[in-house]
Amino acid sequence: MSTNPTTDWNALDTEAFRQTVRTFFEQNYPAEMRYPKTRLRWAEIKDWYMTLSKKGWIAPSWPQAHGGMGLSPEKLIVFIEEQERWGVGRAPDMGITMIGPLLIQYGSEEQRQKYLPKIIQGEHIWCQGYSEPNAGSDLASLRTEAVEDGDDFIINGQKTWTTLAQDATHIFLLARTDKTVKKQEGISFLLADFTTPGITVRPIRNIAGHEEFCEVFFENVRVPKANLVGGLNQGWGIAKALLGFERIFLGSPKQSQYALSRVEEAAHALGLFGDQGFVDRYTQLQLDVADLSALYVRFVEQVKRGEKLGPDVSMLKVWAAETFSRLANLLVEITGGSGAVAGDIEVNGKKIDVLTSFYNARPATIYGGSSEIQRNIIAASVLQLPTK
Amino acid sequence: MNSDHLDTERQDNIRMLAESAQTFATKASPLTRARGLRGSASGFDRSFWGKLAEQGWTGLLIPEAFAGYGQGFGEMAAVVSALATQVVPEPVVPALVFASRAIEHTGNGDLQQQLLASIVAGELIPGVAWQEELAGLQVNLPASAVVAAPTNSGIQLTGEKHHVRPGADCDGFVVTAKQGNGLSLWWVPANAAGVQVKSVALADGTSEASVRFDGVMLDNPHCLAQGDAATVAFTRAYDETLVMASVELLALQQAMLNMTLEYLRTRVQFGKPIGSFQALQHRAVDLHIQQELTSSVLGQAITLLDSGCDPVERSLMASRIKARASDAGLLLARESIQLHGAIGFTDEYDLGLYVQRALVLSAWLGNAQAQRRRYASIANLSI
Repeated sequence: MSTNPTTDWNALDTEAFRQTVRTFFEQNYPAEMRYPKTRLRWAEIKDWYMTLSKKGWIAPSWPQAHGGMGLSPEKLIVFIEEQERWGVGRAPDMGITMIGPLLIQYGSEEQRQKYLPKIIQGEHIWCQGYSEPNAGSDLASLRTEAVEDGDDFIINGQKTWTTLAQDATHIFLLARTDKTVKKQEGISFLLADFTTPGITVRPIRNIAGHEEFCEVFFENVRVPKANLVGGLNQGWGIAKALLGFERIFLGSPKQSQYALSRVEEAAHALGLFGDQGFVDRYTQLQLDVADLSALYVRFVEQVKRGEKLGPDVSMLKVWAAETFSRLANLLVEITGGSGAVAGDIEVNGKKIDVLTSFYNARPATIYGGSSEIQRNIIAASVLQLPTK
Repeated sequence: MNSDHLDTERQDNIRMLAESAQTFATKASPLTRARGLRGSASGFDRSFWGKLAEQGWTGLLIPEAFAGYGQGFGEMAAVVSALATQVVPEPVVPALVFASRAIEHTGNGDLQQQLLASIVAGELIPGVAWQEELAGLQVNLPASAVVAAPTNSGIQLTGEKHHVRPGADCDGFVVTAKQGNGLSLWWVPANAAGVQVKSVALADGTSEASVRFDGVMLDNPHCLAQGDAATVAFTRAYDETLVMASVELLALQQAMLNMTLEYLRTRVQFGKPIGSFQALQHRAVDLHIQQELTSSVLGQAITLLDSGCDPVERSLMASRIKARASDAGLLLARESIQLHGAIGFTDEYDLGLYVQRALVLSAWLGNAQAQRRRYASIANLSI
C-alpha cells in the first residue's frame, strides 16, 4: 500500500488532499488509540509509525528526495489538522520534526545519508537534549561541555526533562565548546548514539504517575567530530533556526476544544446546564476557545502565504495553554468532592476523567518556552519595551 | 482588525480608505474637538455631520438603489475605526449602521426610500428605540411594554424605551413595538405629538435618551415592517451594529495600548524606564493579547457580514465579538490607568477620553456578559 514516492501532493486541491489523508487515518489508525490521555510509548505507537513509514507518510514536511512527502506549509497544516481531528497519537517524533529538518538544512552530506533513512525506517528514535538542571528558561547558560580530543569530542554533563529518552536510540544536544565567550557564542550542536559508553538514561516519574521525561547523564562520552552539526560554536543559532513554523502547533486549539468537550460532557452528567453561574463561566470559556481558533487561523493563514512567523506567535501559545488550563481547572471544580479521584468517576452512568486534563495542563504552560518566557519575548520583540 | 483573508484588490482599497479616513479624522477632529464637545447641548456637532456627508460616509453602507454608495462592512469599518481613534462624538454607528440598516432591511417602500435618501444627504440623524430594561442583562428582542394598538383614528404607540443613541438632537426613531402577538417596526419622527425625549448624560460627555411614547398616533405609512419581517430586519441590523461597535472598541483598545506602551517606554523611575520591569511588561503583554484576539475575531466577523451568512451563525458571531471587544475594552481601560498611575486618572490627560468612550460602548447594546448569555441561548436553540 506504499504510495508512489513521487506523488505530487501539492498538486492536489486542498479538499481532495484532506479527504485522502482523512480516509487513510480513519481506516488505519487503531480506534482504541484515538485521543490518548498521555504521550504514547514507542512500544505502543511503533506499529502506527511503521504503517506511516511504509505508506511514505512518516515525514510529511521533508523533501521527497529525503523520503518525505514534500508538503507545502498549507498541505502540512491540513495533514496535522487531520491528525488532530482523528485524535492520532503523537509518536516519539523528534527525528521527524526536529533533527531531520535540521540535518537537511545544516548537516553534512555524510550526516544526511547516515541518519535520514534510519529515521524514515523507524530504526533511529531521537530525543532532544537541551534543558539542564541549571539551564531551563535560561537555556544559553547550559554547562554540559564537549572538549575536543583528537578526532573526538569528550562530553561531560547532564541533560534533563528529556522527553521519552528511554525510548530513544539517539540524542541531539547542545553542549558548551567555548567558555571564554558570550554564553550564546560558545555552544555547539552535537549528535550522540545512546550505545556510546558513558551515557545513562534515568526516567523521571511525573505527578501524574507517568514516566514521560528523563535525565540523561554524560560521563566522558566520546563522540566523533563527524557528529558536530554546523560549525563549532554555531549551535545556538542552529537551535533557534529550528524554531520554524511548527511553533504554531503549540498553539493549536485542539487541546482546548477537547477539554471543552470533556467539561460539557461532565456538566451534562452533573446537570449543571440549569445553573446560571456555571453556564456563564462555561460560555466565557467556550468563547475563549472559539476566539483562540480565530487567532490560530490568522497565523495559519500567514504560514500558508509562505510568510515567516514572527515573535508575535508567542501570544498564540500563551493563550492556547492558558485557556486549556482554565478549562482543566473548571473540570476539577465542577466535580467538587470527586475532584481528587485518581482515574474515572461515574456520575449518572457517565464516566468522567477529572484529573488527566488537569495534569496535562501543567506542562502545557511550561514546555516549549514557559508562558513567562513567551511574555518576555512579546514584551521585548513585539511591544518594544526596554530591556533595561 | 485583521483582514488577511480578503482579496488583494479589495484589501488595497480598504487600506487606502482607512488612510484617507485617518487623515481626515486627525485633521478635522483633533482630540481637542471631542474634549470641547463633552457635555454640550447635544454632545456632538451637526455641522461635522455635514462633513461626513461630504466625504460620502453617511451613505457608504446604503445601497446604490437608495442613492448610497453600496460599500461593504470592510469599508465601513475603515471609516468607523478612524473616527473612533479620534473619539469623534457624532453618532456614526447608532445612526449610520443601527438605524440605517434597520430601515434598509425592511424593504424599499416610499418611507424607506425617503428616509435613506435623507440619511445619505446628511440631513437626517436617526436612532433606534428598542430596549425596555434600564439595567439587567437581557438582550432578547423586546416587544412587551411598548404597544402599537389599533384605534379608530389609526395606530397608537404607547410605552417607554431606554438607552437610545443619540440621546439628543436625534431626528427620529426606529421603534420596536408589540402589535398583536408579533413585533412591528415603526418610524417615529422626534417631533411627533406625544414623543418625550429625556436625555441621560453618559460617561464620555455624549448622551443617550429614555424616550416615552404617550399615545403617539401613527398612520400606516409610518410602519416599516410587521411580524417575522420586523424580527428578521431588526435582528440583522442589531447583529451588524454589534460588529461595528466592536470596530470602535478595537480602535479604542489600540489607542489606549499605544499610549500606555509609550508611557512605559519613557517614564523613568528607580533610574530606569518602568517598561523594563517584568511585572509591568507581562501586564502589557496580556493587554496586547486581548487586543489581538479582538482583532482576529473581528476580521472574521466582518468577512462573515460581507459574504452573507446564515442568520444564526451571524448572531453567534456578532455576540461573540461584542463580548470579546467589550471585555477587552474595559480591561484595557482599567489597566491603562493603572499602568500610567495618577496621570491616567487626570481629566486633562487624553487617556480618559478613550476610557470613557470604552465604558459607553461596552454597555451599549448589551455588555459582555449579556452578549455571552445571548450566545448561550442561541447556541442551545440551534443544537
